Amino acid sequence: MNREGQGDDIIIASNLVKTFPGPVRALDDFSVTVRRGEVLVIVGPSGSGKSTFLRCLNGLEEVDSGTIIIDGLPLDDNEKHRLEIRREVGMVFQSFNLFPHLNVLENVSLAQRLVRGKSRARAREFSMELLARVGLADKAASFPAELSGGQQQRVAIARALAMMPRVMLFDEATSALDPEMIGEVLDVMRQLAEDGMTMVVVTHEMGFALEVSDRVLFMEQGRVIEEGAPEQFFNTPARARTRAFLRQIL
Amino acid sequence: MQRRPGKFITSWVDVTKFMLTLVGLAWLVGRGSEQLGYNWHWRKIPGYFFTLAHGHLHAGPLVDGLVVTLEITAFSLVLAALIGLVTALLRLSSSLVGRFLAMFYLETIRNTPLLVQIFFLYFVMAPILDLGRFTAAVLALAFFEGAYASEIFRAGIVSIDRGQWEAAYSLGLSRFASYRHIILPQAVRSVLPPLTSQAISLLKDSALVSTIAVYDLTMQGRAIVAETFLVFEVWFTLAAIYLLLACLLSLLVRLVERRFGSPGQPAWKMP
Repeated sequence: MNREGQGDDIIIASNLVKTFPGPVRALDDFSVTVRRGEVLVIVGPSGSGKSTFLRCLNGLEEVDSGTIIIDGLPLDDNEKHRLEIRREVGMVFQSFNLFPHLNVLENVSLAQRLVRGKSRARAREFSMELLARVGLADKAASFPAELSGGQQQRVAIARALAMMPRVMLFDEATSALDPEMIGEVLDVMRQLAEDGMTMVVVTHEMGFALEVSDRVLFMEQGRVIEEGAPEQFFNTPARARTRAFLRQIL
Repeated sequence: MQRRPGKFITSWVDVTKFMLTLVGLAWLVGRGSEQLGYNWHWRKIPGYFFTLAHGHLHAGPLVDGLVVTLEITAFSLVLAALIGLVTALLRLSSSLVGRFLAMFYLETIRNTPLLVQIFFLYFVMAPILDLGRFTAAVLALAFFEGAYASEIFRAGIVSIDRGQWEAAYSLGLSRFASYRHIILPQAVRSVLPPLTSQAISLLKDSALVSTIAVYDLTMQGRAIVAETFLVFEVWFTLAAIYLLLACLLSLLVRLVERRFGSPGQPAWKMP
């Protein structure tokens, strides 16, 4: 699947700048590269630009300057590129954002039919396979409002996977969940990582970061403060700011 | 439980007051008409609905008029919904020209009287575009109600959580597909109640087309009055028919709403 000249880097984000009226510099000359199959966890205080970075990666926010290349495709003003990148990049939101008027099966099938042009039967078949993977095959006919938060989030993951994305983005996927439901969602994410999915995960779950990630990146005020392998990052952080942050949340 | 007897009494007092008011009104009308020396001829009214000739039931002018009123209402309702939806989408679009067009249309329609719009369409536009009076009536009503419907649609669309757009976009759906499959189905359901009252306004406003001699219910009523001087009977009857139609319309929508809301039961809660 490697495209020419792409090598092993599936996400190349260079010198991203994004400001919001205020003025807030959400991304301040932010650069990061993600290898194929890598699980990158981004941590940092709220307002540090983590979510903004994820949202820029699939064009939900537009950067002021800088370049994003995903699997060889530049994310630019070209609407076709944007749509193509969104097809290849799955996103899971903090607030699930399931479609409330569609049942679980339709939630997972819709984009397969509309965007991938699959027949109803083939979309259904794959959706059921994905729902089984997240342990919700018996909920196919339910509506989102009938599911618990953890179940909704697992459906949302299945919905994103239905596009067979090359990259999955998780934007605080467990932050809106009751504590006893966090585990079931993290299990699905862990499984996904083991299956080799490239993942960029914004989370406050440090256990997950330590256990599953290949690299942890600490950002603040739109800049990278420190990054490293999880053991090194959590055990022997180099920067004083990282140590202070870790002390507060651990 | 303790408050129940009190409530019971209050509601009885309410009902009694209401009844007394009704009786009072009826008495006033009766006395007024007596003083006028008005002769009631209610027996003649059924003949304007149906007449029996040669063993066949023939529709009278009031039924003919009712059919025309229903036709006009139905056509302009569909058209108004379409115009309203398109205008709402234009207003929310990123196109400057689209937004300007929508605003221009809205402001023009909302700041001129419907009667003037009907006259304008019938006396100015109809000869230019070679439109019949029925078409002119339908168009005038559709443009008028469409402006209000568009505001309702817009409110419904804007009320949909931003996360729905983002979820649709992040699956690779285009703006059009997002509207069609995600946003509008949710928006339309939440604006069904205000759209119903708009439909009822449309039904009532349709009486104004009698001014351009479209033979709707009101026009037929005017014609009968002019011929027979059954002023009280006819206008009472017409008012009752409009009232009945409006009630039926809201009942119909409530049924549709209930049907809509139950694919697989609780479906989702209305915001």
